[in-house]
Amino acid sequence: MLIHKDMKMADVIHLNHHLLHVINRFGIQLGFGEKSVKQVCELHQVPLPFFLEIVNTFHDSTYFPVESMLQFKASELIEYLHQTHQYYLDFRIPEIENYIRRLTNDNSFDEEIKVLLLDFFRQYTHELTIHINKEEQRVYPYVLALEHYLQDNKLEKELVEQLKAYSIHEYEEDHDDVESKLFDLKNILIKYIPQPKDSRILNLILHEIFELEKDLNNHAHIEDLILVPIVEKMEQDFLTISNQDKTL
Amino acid sequence: MNEVVKILVIEKSYIIREGLKALLSQMGLAFRMDEADCIKDSFQKLLEKYEPQVVIANQLQLSEKWHGNRNSTAFTGLIIIGIVHSIPDENQTSHFDFTLNVMNSKSALTNDFQDIFVKIGLVSEENDSETISEREADVLRLVALGLTNNEIAERLFISVHTVMTHRKNITRKLGIKTVSGLTVYAILNKLVESGELKGGRKE
Repeated sequence: MLIHKDMKMADVIHLNHHLLHVINRFGIQLGFGEKSVKQVCELHQVPLPFFLEIVNTFHDSTYFPVESMLQFKASELIEYLHQTHQYYLDFRIPEIENYIRRLTNDNSFDEEIKVLLLDFFRQYTHELTIHINKEEQRVYPYVLALEHYLQDNKLEKELVEQLKAYSIHEYEEDHDDVESKLFDLKNILIKYIPQPKDSRILNLILHEIFELEKDLNNHAHIEDLILVPIVEKMEQDFLTISNQDKTL
Repeated sequence: MNEVVKILVIEKSYIIREGLKALLSQMGLAFRMDEADCIKDSFQKLLEKYEPQVVIANQLQLSEKWHGNRNSTAFTGLIIIGIVHSIPDENQTSHFDFTLNVMNSKSALTNDFQDIFVKIGLVSEENDSETISEREADVLRLVALGLTNNEIAERLFISVHTVMTHRKNITRKLGIKTVSGLTVYAILNKLVESGELKGGRKE
């Protein structure tokens, strides 16, 4: 069942509580009362169609965004993706690291193995951070500049040159590398960790990793299925305009 | 093993498409399913767009818009499964590798899918739980120590190609892809001592 505008926001959470942190990224917090999705969005000045697409792609991994997604503003999308990055780096990653640190508290877990896991997880975090920084520092500013240019139609020669030199396709490739380490970590925990006396904390770590993985997949899904087509369209518009204007 | 199989379904009926999706998701197969109502233009164009490994197509849809020869290079490596609604006439289904009768019961359809996927090698009959061989353990040890494929080949007197085959099998059996992941495995299983690691090479 998909999320639609007339549902109560509270029922959305009853239906799928994993959506809570997605909803938070729009600046919407708990305490919905009897308000519908539409009312909550209006209250927080969140564009309703945009909200529904994002929530539904997360809710149902087979859901394909409607064609009207090309109308979404790239800046709205980037704000959401940015919030997602913050959530990973400020919340999810430190939380997993904390759990790994707690592994030796009950003395049943070998210190050396804890260090090994922590080390591996830090390597992963390092790669994820590099990937995120690349998007935040290179890709998003490019998209925002492109959108800005198309809105204002102000032609600055320097900007136009910069935009011409880059294309969204340059960044489409590399989602895979970061995923492999997380995949490995799951198998190491599930299959190869020497059995501890009590695996409750390991269970928690594993649970967190699955959640993170689901979230990352959705993040990549939104970039590939919504952001990239929007930017492709803007790039086309941009080329048409800048070609017409021979002064550039 | 963990590779995602791309499946393209060409079928007008929404209910049949959803039904196929539900069945496929019970097959223990990592897949991505793309859907097309019908073949608007040509079959080749759809193939170019979705690049599927397996096509499951309504028998009528495909016979009408079928251009070209089943043996042509455009279809090399592609598995085409025809959706039929009754016992089909041989002539109408010759361009399919397999047919699937959607009027069958759930268990019959599950068996059919299982048979097809085993035959084309997407699902293996034996389980994947085999442990690594001694030779693979040798290779894994050297991978963990940070040696390149060339160095490993030299050290073990085998070809680079053989090293790569071993590495592929190690990854398939263990479910660990990265060098640092394999290193953790090697230490946990005492194939190497953490003191031996130079800590130099990272991917």
